[in-house]
Amino acid sequence: MEDFEQIISDCNAGSRKAQAKLYQQFAPKMFGVCLRYAKDATEAEDNLQEGFIKVFTNLKSFRNEGSFEGWIRRIMINVSLEKIRKQHLLYPVEDVSIYDSVNFSDDVIAKIAADDLMKLIQELPPRYRLVFNLYVIEGMSHQEIAQEMSITQGTSKSNLARARDILKKKVHETFGEWNAKNNYTA
Amino acid sequence: MKKDKNLDELFRSKLLNYEQEPPAYLLENILAGAAGARRKRKIVLWRIAGVAAALLLAFVAGWQFNSRNEIGTEPQVIVSQQSAPENAIQTAPEIKTLQAAPENIQLAAVNEPAKNNEISTKSIIKNSVSGKINLMAEALPVVSNDETILLKPLKSLFGLLKQDLASANLLHQKKLNDLKAEYPEKSIDQQIIEHNRQLTMAHTENTRKGRWLIGAQVSPEYNVSRSSHSQVYASNMLNASSNPVDLGGGISVEFKKGKRWSLQSGVYYSGMGQSSGNSAYPNRNLVSSDYGTEHGKEYFNAPVNIDSKSSKMIMNSAAGVIEFSGVPSGIVLGTNLEDKSLASNAVVVSEARFIQNFEYIEIPLYLRYSILDSRFDVEMLGGFSSNVLVGNNTYMESNTGKSLVGSTQNMESLNYSGTLGIGLKYGLSKRFYLNVEPRVKYYLNSLNSNSSVTYKPYTIGVFTGLSYEF
Repeated sequence: MEDFEQIISDCNAGSRKAQAKLYQQFAPKMFGVCLRYAKDATEAEDNLQEGFIKVFTNLKSFRNEGSFEGWIRRIMINVSLEKIRKQHLLYPVEDVSIYDSVNFSDDVIAKIAADDLMKLIQELPPRYRLVFNLYVIEGMSHQEIAQEMSITQGTSKSNLARARDILKKKVHETFGEWNAKNNYTA
Repeated sequence: MKKDKNLDELFRSKLLNYEQEPPAYLLENILAGAAGARRKRKIVLWRIAGVAAALLLAFVAGWQFNSRNEIGTEPQVIVSQQSAPENAIQTAPEIKTLQAAPENIQLAAVNEPAKNNEISTKSIIKNSVSGKINLMAEALPVVSNDETILLKPLKSLFGLLKQDLASANLLHQKKLNDLKAEYPEKSIDQQIIEHNRQLTMAHTENTRKGRWLIGAQVSPEYNVSRSSHSQVYASNMLNASSNPVDLGGGISVEFKKGKRWSLQSGVYYSGMGQSSGNSAYPNRNLVSSDYGTEHGKEYFNAPVNIDSKSSKMIMNSAAGVIEFSGVPSGIVLGTNLEDKSLASNAVVVSEARFIQNFEYIEIPLYLRYSILDSRFDVEMLGGFSSNVLVGNNTYMESNTGKSLVGSTQNMESLNYSGTLGIGLKYGLSKRFYLNVEPRVKYYLNSLNSNSSVTYKPYTIGVFTGLSYEF
């Protein structure tokens, strides 16, 4: 812990060595976060770069009170979110449709690699990708997502349902086995 | 829901802690970017510090120059340079000569503009060490006309140059000049810009805040009588003949908000007269035609009654009932036995005119709107006034002269009037204005409370005066 605080302190002093150390410690995980929110690896790289520059320039505002990983992750998510906002890709989708449910067997799950799932997520439309990531992976509530993205909770639910539907179809197409069940809601 | 969780769990479990090594080149980019951001932040801080220091320096310099280089009251001048031989630095005595006769210099500048190689203040100062320095009067190409503000930096420059030139060592002096020239050069530019900015801001602020004008006006007032009476009253009434021209005037206070609208009030004195006479009456209705008057067969038929309450002599006039304080001297009364058309006890049989004078203090509230806003302003004005009666006298004018004989009964002590007018305003200077305002004032209620009398005159006046803006 002392080492970590020293690294942060050195980073604040502008030490390239300390910055490289910090980067190497968190970059793989944060790149994973960026990949989930980006449409492809190039965009994820851009976001990671921008995110880490922000981390280093705003490191003084981190008070060692919470989790550093949580703080840095939040920065990466915000950068990714901002990028999508700037690209005006947050088109509204308000319909709450009912979609078929899918159940995956453990065998199927075991077969699916994380990289493949990442690819499926990246192929989602930006808004669905955002909502799915925030709800399913980050564990945010629809209320929090609605506030974060300036949308209604209903829209958030609808987008999540649509994202799930697309993903299920794609999982089926990719990995074959799926069982259609009846309705579900967010 | 369970099925959803199945899918969600699939993605969460596989991706929550998903890690992937980013490309190696990213680190270098990030470190370079972070260093650049730090540099940028430092540069911004240095820039802020630099601007603050420059402002402080300019302020101190301006203050110092202004405080130590006060030179009399020269006209607006700008320093100009004429071609001159090298090393011909003019020392203080020559400059003093120029100072002593600024008017001549100004004249020369006007007559011979082409001969002078006029250059900007900036370049003048740079060359001031080796060049022959002259002063040339010229209007400065700036927004302001405020001489004191504009002269300050130039005075500072002049004083500075004088001091520098008076130094003993030429080389040393040159070095000093080179150093100092840079300094006032910035100071002058900055000061002129700053002063112009301040003036513009002050003007804008003034317009926004509002301005005050105080003024004094006088006016001849021509009163036009408008009255109606009950039949009985009118049958025993003096004939209103003419309306004397009175004098009015007062002090006005005006608050101007914005460019167009202003509100005006003040205190005005307003005199109003009503002249009535007993007209010559033909003697056809007379039982006896000889009243012993000098007019022979005529008599004057101003009916007179005695007030039952006050036991005073009263006469009906257009403005109301005139109550005499006593029987006026020089009046000849006769009984009214002869003229059956009159319901009065007596008639004034000698020629006389009765002048009722009413004096009012008027407190107006006018709204003014500027139609034309330039050196010659044209404004529309309209509003209402409260008029307090402060004088009520009746005079009798006869062959024996003019004397105070009484007053008019039942005059209202407070009246209201409406006013419409046109204001013509000519700017004599920046703050003084000449005003000429034709106005029509109309009384909204009857000035007399007698139920048989409705007396609502209107007044036409041309108010002329001066106003001062601050």
